[in-house]
Amino acid sequence: MAKKKQLRLIAEMARKIRAYRELKSRPRESQKYALDYGTMRRPHTGKMLPVLAWQDVRRESRLFSLLAGMRLFGVGRLFTRKSWLEDHTEPSYWQITKVKVDYTAENLDHGKAWGILTLKGKQESEVKEVDKAMYHDWRLVPKHMEQQLKDFVPGPEPPVRYVPYPPLLRAMLLAKHKKAAGSVLAEEPVLPLKRDVLLSKDYFRSQEQEAQRTEGTAV
Amino acid sequence: MAASVWKRCVTAAVKVKCLSPSLSARRWLLSAAYTDTKVWEAREKDPQNLALLATTMDRTYDRNLPVSSLSVSRFVDNISSREEIDQAEYYLYKFRHSPNCWYLRDWTIHSWIRQCLKYGAKEKALHTVKNKVQYGIFPDDFTFNLLIDSYIKDGNFKSACSVVEEVMLQEAFDRPSTQILSLYAMGRYQATRPQLTVSEERALGASLLICGLQQDNTVGLSAQLLGNALLGKVEMLNGIHAVFRGMPLYWGHGYLGRALALMERAAAASGDVKLTKDAVDYTRDLLQELSSTSDSDSSGAESAGEEDEEKKEDHVDEADQAERAKLPQYVTRFKELSSQLESEGKVDSASFQDSASALAHQNLAAAEKPDLEQYLSRVQGWEADNRQLIVREKEMRKKAEQEKNERLAAKAAAQQA
Repeated sequence: MAKKKQLRLIAEMARKIRAYRELKSRPRESQKYALDYGTMRRPHTGKMLPVLAWQDVRRESRLFSLLAGMRLFGVGRLFTRKSWLEDHTEPSYWQITKVKVDYTAENLDHGKAWGILTLKGKQESEVKEVDKAMYHDWRLVPKHMEQQLKDFVPGPEPPVRYVPYPPLLRAMLLAKHKKAAGSVLAEEPVLPLKRDVLLSKDYFRSQEQEAQRTEGTAV
Repeated sequence: MAASVWKRCVTAAVKVKCLSPSLSARRWLLSAAYTDTKVWEAREKDPQNLALLATTMDRTYDRNLPVSSLSVSRFVDNISSREEIDQAEYYLYKFRHSPNCWYLRDWTIHSWIRQCLKYGAKEKALHTVKNKVQYGIFPDDFTFNLLIDSYIKDGNFKSACSVVEEVMLQEAFDRPSTQILSLYAMGRYQATRPQLTVSEERALGASLLICGLQQDNTVGLSAQLLGNALLGKVEMLNGIHAVFRGMPLYWGHGYLGRALALMERAAAASGDVKLTKDAVDYTRDLLQELSSTSDSDSSGAESAGEEDEEKKEDHVDEADQAERAKLPQYVTRFKELSSQLESEGKVDSASFQDSASALAHQNLAAAEKPDLEQYLSRVQGWEADNRQLIVREKEMRKKAEQEKNERLAAKAAAQQA
């Protein structure tokens, strides 16, 4: 049997202290997302913003730059993003419910916000953290336009389209079915173009387990 | 005129000091009942030593602990001289940059504006309202009305218009009294024909537009027309992004087109709503100015070097260029619509300023009454909240003392043992 692992208590303590100090010295939102508008660099990391974003950074504003000048930090107001306005015709907006502003920022223009998203006219049911609040992309929806956005009713979803399988896979499927059931498969196997399942580790694990159960042993 | 004034004095709920209003142009707009400080002074006082409060707050900030909104509200309530107003401004700034910035109370803001007006620090009040990001001053509609009225009384219409601009940025044009006061202030300011920079034009246009949207009469429609025209001018000269950046405005192109659509709607509408003549004249002058500048631009660009043209194309978007190309169409359509309006008799010969004053005479008294009632109930609500905060602070202090005594006792027991 090998020598018992030495109890390195001081190293443990040092590890804990280092973790605590790292937690305490986390950069604030205002430090992390500060930007030098002349060179388009973030002082915190020294990295430059992507070139295609430069025009937007000069012309548009961040979410909190808008929220700082509003009563109660804009809780209950609607905000759109310029990229949504360009990409989708149906209205998409965030309705802000909770705001946590970084008070160390000089103009109070960094922080986190939570709200209810309505994407392409479909409203979600839960409050989520506002994604990409630090992007220079946000626009306030004026009160006289709010009703117009909220009134939009999304049209019915287009039906799921089906396509035939590739020939080899189709042949394999038909052969499998003939082996299992003994008769020729009457209808053509089709592949739906919309996947219902969210691909994740759990999904693949459950698929493997199912395959093992059906196949039995390897040989 | 005198009869309506006396009726107003009689029906006001609170005892009114019936000063005879001057019939000249410089009228007070809000009645004395509205601007009366009696209700506000009649609240229960909470006398505190300002120096003590200041040192406590400084110590709390140094120790990185949060300062409660109650201490800030006490400080502002107990201001008694002009120097203390400057100190209070500093503490408001510090509070805004502390973790509790969200909890600045409504009554603190109201009390701050009242104190500034009382000690003659109106510029200070305007400064804090303008820099609302740094001070966190977001007054409610009653307070805004008081501030605008005090500037109108002084005849300082430029500052009154800057207050209206702040109301617009907050989109607080909910009450008819605020709308009437703002339209009056803007009408008087417009009548002085000031030289406006781009940002001032933008602000004035936006305030006129948003305020006019709430009113359905001649004044409102003319305000909308003027607003759309001013914003269209900024859009033509500087592009749409210069229009809606930082303002609660719609980002769609074609503000001049919307102005013309308004005129068309006014021409087609069957009611009594008209457009004032000077609004239509102003739009005509604006369009002429724009078309003359665009003509000189196009003739100048041919002679300019290639570099300049390239730079211009960088700044000017495709959509903005398309908008500028529509300018001659706008001019012709405007001529048709204005002749149509005149033929239908929809052009009101009174100026914008006069119509706004007439509106104020008629409707302000009626608009003030619900405001006053709401204000009284609101003040009572604030007092209740204030009392609750004081009670809560006392409880917390007691609890902290108890815990401290327990800790000391435990330490003494541990030392003895």
